[in-house]
Amino acid sequence: MAWLPLLPTLILTAGALLLLLAEAFRRPGSAAGMAWGALWITALGTGATGVLATWGPLEGIYRMVLWDRGAFWLSLTILVGTGIAILFSQRYLADRGIERGEYYAFLLLAAGGMLLMAVAADLLVVFLALEWLSFPLYILAGFARPQPESEEAALKYFLLGAFASAFLVFGIALIFAGTGLTNLSDLAAWLRRPDPGAQSLVWIGGALLLVALGFKAAAVPFHLWTPDVYEGAPTPITGFMAAATKTAAVAALIRVFWTGLGPAMDLWAGPVALMAAATMLVGNGVALLQSSFKRMMAYSSIAHAGYLLMGLLGEPSLALPGVMFYLLAYSIATLGAFAVAVRMAGPNGEDQSFGAYAGVARGSPGMGAAMALFMLSLIGVPPTAGFFAKLMLFAAAWQAGWIALVLIGVITTVISAYFYLRVVVAMWMDRPEPRHLPRPDPGARLSMALSAFATLFLGVLWLMLGGLSL
Amino acid sequence: MSLILALVLTFVLAAMAPRLHGLLREASGWVLALWPLAWTIYLGGLTGRITQGDPLYIRYPWMPQLGVSLSFYVDGLGLLFGLLISGIGALVLIYSGGYLKKHRHLGRFYLFILSFMGSMLGLVLTGNLIALFVFWELTSLSSYFLIGFEHEREEARQAALQALLVTGIGGLALLAGLLLLGEAGGTLELTVLLERGEALRASPYYLPALILILVGAFTKSAQVPFHFWLPNAMEAPTPVSAYLHSATMVKAGVYLLARLSPALGGTAAWQIGVTGGGLATMVLGAIMALGPSDLKRILAYSTVSTLGALTFLLGLGTPLAVKAAMTLLLAHALYKGALFLVAGAVDHETGTRDVWKLGGLGPSMPITATAAGMAALSMAGLPPSLGFISKELLYEAQLHALHLPALLAGAGVLASALLVAVAGVVGLRPFFGHPVHRTGHLHDPPPSLWLGPLLLGGAGIALAIAPDMAASPLTTAAVSAVLGKPTVVELRLWHGLNPSLALSALTVLAGAGLYAAQPFLLDIAARARLKEWAARWGPQRGYERMLQGLNALATTQTRLLQSGFLRFYLMIIILTTIALVGSTIAIREPLSRWMGRIVDARPYELMIVVLMGLATLMAVLTSSRLAAVAALGIVGYGVALLYMLFGAPDLAMTQFAVETLTVILLVLVVYRLPRFTRLSGRPARLRDAALALAAGGMMTALMLMVLSAPLKSRLAPFFAANSLTLAKGRNVVNVILVDFRALDTLGEITVLAVAAIGVYALLKLRME
Repeated sequence: MAWLPLLPTLILTAGALLLLLAEAFRRPGSAAGMAWGALWITALGTGATGVLATWGPLEGIYRMVLWDRGAFWLSLTILVGTGIAILFSQRYLADRGIERGEYYAFLLLAAGGMLLMAVAADLLVVFLALEWLSFPLYILAGFARPQPESEEAALKYFLLGAFASAFLVFGIALIFAGTGLTNLSDLAAWLRRPDPGAQSLVWIGGALLLVALGFKAAAVPFHLWTPDVYEGAPTPITGFMAAATKTAAVAALIRVFWTGLGPAMDLWAGPVALMAAATMLVGNGVALLQSSFKRMMAYSSIAHAGYLLMGLLGEPSLALPGVMFYLLAYSIATLGAFAVAVRMAGPNGEDQSFGAYAGVARGSPGMGAAMALFMLSLIGVPPTAGFFAKLMLFAAAWQAGWIALVLIGVITTVISAYFYLRVVVAMWMDRPEPRHLPRPDPGARLSMALSAFATLFLGVLWLMLGGLSL
Repeated sequence: MSLILALVLTFVLAAMAPRLHGLLREASGWVLALWPLAWTIYLGGLTGRITQGDPLYIRYPWMPQLGVSLSFYVDGLGLLFGLLISGIGALVLIYSGGYLKKHRHLGRFYLFILSFMGSMLGLVLTGNLIALFVFWELTSLSSYFLIGFEHEREEARQAALQALLVTGIGGLALLAGLLLLGEAGGTLELTVLLERGEALRASPYYLPALILILVGAFTKSAQVPFHFWLPNAMEAPTPVSAYLHSATMVKAGVYLLARLSPALGGTAAWQIGVTGGGLATMVLGAIMALGPSDLKRILAYSTVSTLGALTFLLGLGTPLAVKAAMTLLLAHALYKGALFLVAGAVDHETGTRDVWKLGGLGPSMPITATAAGMAALSMAGLPPSLGFISKELLYEAQLHALHLPALLAGAGVLASALLVAVAGVVGLRPFFGHPVHRTGHLHDPPPSLWLGPLLLGGAGIALAIAPDMAASPLTTAAVSAVLGKPTVVELRLWHGLNPSLALSALTVLAGAGLYAAQPFLLDIAARARLKEWAARWGPQRGYERMLQGLNALATTQTRLLQSGFLRFYLMIIILTTIALVGSTIAIREPLSRWMGRIVDARPYELMIVVLMGLATLMAVLTSSRLAAVAALGIVGYGVALLYMLFGAPDLAMTQFAVETLTVILLVLVVYRLPRFTRLSGRPARLRDAALALAAGGMMTALMLMVLSAPLKSRLAPFFAANSLTLAKGRNVVNVILVDFRALDTLGEITVLAVAAIGVYALLKLRME
C-alpha cells in the first residue's frame, strides 16, 4: 500500500527502461513503434491515475509521498501533456531523421519525475523529483543535434538548471539545519510553534527554494533562460516543457509553499506577490514585441507563470481548485498551439515567424479554427476553459485581498489579447503566399482535435456546473 | 430573452455576412439593412413602457458566488443610443452597399460593421460593468479593422493602429476604474451601483476610479488631449466615418459619463475634470475645424468640438444641461451622419474631397445638395432644425450655470459661431458658387447613396418641427435616466424672446463673418507657423514619442536582459538571491550574534586562511588558465589542511584526493583550450568583483548562521552509539558507508559503473 502513490511514476519509469531496452534490439525503420509503445505506457499510467482517483488521501514510504486530490489533478495534467507531446512528436522527428527510441524513453522518464513531484510530501522528494524530471529534459532540449541552436539551448538549460538545483539543495539544507526536518507537513507543524533561534534559517532556506522553483516555473526575474531554450529546443519538446514542466514546477511550489511553508505565508506573500506582478507584466509586455511564434509562446508561458503565482496567494478554498483547473486549461491550450506549430514546421528547417503563418487558415480552415480556439483560451475568452480558469484564480486572489494584483492580472490579460490574436489574424486575414504545408501529419492533427475538444469541453462543463457549485 | 437572442443573432449575422454577400451581390446592403431596421422597430416598441418610467431589466444569475451575472438594462438613455445605433446602422448598410460596390472585400466589410453594431448595442444595453468593458473593447477592435479596411495603404494601417492604441489603452484604464468602482460599491451590477451614489462618492476608491474612468471615456470620445486619433481615423471608408466616428462609437465615452453621472457626478473632481475637459475640447475642436481642406477632416474636428460640448454639459450636470446634452446628442448624430454621407457621395461623384476644389455642384446634384443643406442648417443651429433647439438649450444651460456663466456662454458662442462657419464650408461652398469641377457630366449618385443623407438630414428638420412626435418623448426618457428621476422635457422651436435667442443671433452673425474671413484667417495661421508648432508640441507628437520609446524599450530589453549570455542570466539569478536572502538576514539577524566567532582563531589557522585568500586573488587576477587552476588547487588543499587541524583526517584525505583529481582533469581540459584573448574591461570587472564579493559575503553569513544554530540531529548519537555494537566497527564514517547504508553505496557504485560504461562507449565511438 505504501507504494501506491508512486504507481504512475513507477509505470512510466519502468516503461521508459523497457523502451530503452527495446531500442537496443529493434529493427531499423521501426521507430514509429516506439511512439506507440510510449503512448500505451502513458495510457497505462493514466489508467493507474484514474484508479487511484477514487482513493482517499494515501501516505507512503515513511510519509515521503502523498496521494490526494491535488496529486490526482496534477498527475492527470502531466499525463495528458505527455500523451499529446508523444502524438505530435513522431512525424516531426521522422522528418528530421532524429527519431530514436531514446526520445520517447526520455520523455517518459521526465514525465515520471513530474509525477513524483505531484506526490512529493518531503523536501528530499521534491529535490529528487526535480532532478529526475530535469535531466531527461536537458537531453531532449538538445535532441535536434547537430542544430547549433538546439545544442546551445540544452547547454544553457543544463548549466542554469544545475545552478538552480544547487540553490534548492542549499535551501533544503538550511531548513534542515534549523529544524531537523524535511517532511513538509512536519515543517508546517514546526512553523506553527517555531523555535525563535532557528527561524531565520528557515526563512532563508525558503527564499532559496523560491529562487530554485521560480527558475523552474520561469518566473521573473528567473525567466531569462526561457525564450532562448524554448526557441532552440525541438518544437515538440518546447510544447512539452511549456505544459508539463510548468505543471510540475507549480506542483513543487504548491507542495513546498502551501503544504510546507503555509503557516509562514505572511513572510513569503510579499516576495511572491512582487514576482507574480513582475512576471505578468514582463511576460505579457515583452510577448507583445515578439515576431516569432515560438518566442511569443515562451513569453506566454512566463506570463501564465505569473497568473499561477498569483493563484498561490489566493483564498485557499478557491485557489486550490483554481490552480489545478488553470494548469489543465493552460496545458491543453498550449499543447494545441504547439501541435499547430509542429504542423507548420517543414521537414527541413522551420520558420516560426508570424509571416510564415500568413494565410495558412485559408488552406486548412480546421487548423486555423483550432488555433483561434487555443489562443482564445490562452487569453481567457468565454466559453473556453481558459476563461473559467482565469476567473477562478482572479476571484481567489480578489477574495484574499490582492486587489492590485488582480488589476494587473486583468490588464495584462487584455494586453495579451493583442499578441495572441496577432497569430489568428495572420492565419486568417493576411494574404496567403503560395506555399504548401508538408505532408499530412495525423499525429499533430489528432493532438489539435483532442486539445480543441478538451478546451471547449472543459469550458462548457464548467459553464454548466459553475452556476450550481463552485 | 428576446434581447439576448437578438444580440447573439447580430453576431451570427455578422459571421454569415460574407457568405450572404456572395449570394445577394448587388442587393446585399438593402437586405442586410433589414436586420438593424428590425432592431429599430423592436426598440421603438419599447419606447412606450420606458417613457412611462418602466425600464427593461433582465438578469440571469450565472455565478452568484462571484457576483457575475448576465444582465441587460434598457432605460431612456440606452433606448436613445440603441435607436440611433440601429436606425443609422440600417441607413449606413444601404449606403455601404452602393459606396463600396466595386470593393472586392465588401463581404468582409459587412462582417466588421455588423459586429461593430452588435458590440455597440451590447455596450449601451448591458447592465454589468464587466460586460460593458468587453463590448467597449470590441467596438475598439472593430473600429481598428474598419479604419484599416483598405490595408494596402500605409496611412490607413497607421491610423488604425493609432486609434486602437489610444482607445485600447484608454480601455485598460477604464477596466481598472470599473473594477475599483465595483470594489467600492460592492457589486458590478449597474442598476445597483446607480443607487449607491452616496457610498461611492464617499469611498477612498472614488478619486482613482474616477480618474481612470475619465481617461477611458476621454480617449474613446476624442477629448483633448487624446483627440488626435479621430481626424486620422478619417482614413476609413466614408460610411465608417459617418457611423462609427461621428454618430455612435465616439459617443461611447459620452454614454459612459451620462450612465455613471448619477453614481459619480456632482463632486468637485467631476465638475473640474469633465466640465474643464469638455470645454477645452469644444473650443479647440471648433478652431481646428477651420484649418483643413479635406471635407472629412473638417467634419472630424467639428465632431471633436461637439463631443466636447456633450462632455461639458454632462459635467455641469444640471437638469438644464442634461436636457441640452441629450438633445444635442440626437441632433448631432442626425446632421453629422448626413454630412459625412454627403461628403462620401460628393467624393464618389467628383473624385475629390478638397473643399477648395469643389463648387457649384448644386444644380447637377440636387438631391445631395438638399440633404447637405438640411444637415448644414442643423449644424449651424438655424431654425427650423433640431440643431437650433439644442443650441438654444446649450446657451440656456450655460447662462444658468452656477459658476462663471458669462465665461461659459462666451466659450459656447465662440464654438458655435465657428461651427456656423464650418457648416458653411461643408454644406454651402461645394454646392453654390461657380462650378469648379468641370470634368465629365455630374449627376446625383444612385438611390443607395442619397437615401441615407436625405432621411437623416430630413429627420433633423422634421423632429424639430413636430417635436412631440418623437424628439420630446425620447429626450424625456433619456434625461430622466441620466438624472435618475422623472423629468419632463418639452422641446420647442420658439422659446420667446430671451437671452438665448439674442446669443443665437449673435452666433449667426459672427459665424457668417468667420466664414467670409476664413481665407484671411488661414493666411494668418500659416504665417504664425501654427501647423509646425502643433506638430512639434501637440499630443500627436507625444503619441509618436511613446511609440518610439516602446520600440527602444523593446530593443533595450532584448539587448540588456535577453542578451543570450549565460553569465548574464546567472548574474541576474545571483543578484535576486542576494536581494532575497540578504534582506532576510539584514532584517532578522543582528550582526553581533556571530561576529565573535571570527576572532577566535589560532595563528597557524590564520596563516592557512591568508594563504587561501592569496591563492583566490591569484586565481582571479591571473590571465593564464593553468595558473588559475593551480591557484584553485591551493585553495582546495588549504581546506583539506584545515580539516586536518580540526581532527578530521579521513575527510582531509578525501579532500586531497578530490582536489588532486580535479586539478589533473582541469589541466587536461585547459591544455586543449586556446588562450584567453578577449578579457573584459574595467567596468565589467568592477561589476563582477562587487557581485562576487556580495555573493561570497552572503554565503559566509549563511555558513556562520548555520554554525550558530544548534543542530538537533538524531542521527549522530544513533550512529555513535550503535556502530560498534551493531556493526562491529570503530570508524563511524566507514560503518555508515558499508553497513548502515550499504544499499545506497551499492546504488552509487552501480551508477559509477554505468557511467564508466558510457564513457567507454563514447571513447570507443570516438576512436572508430
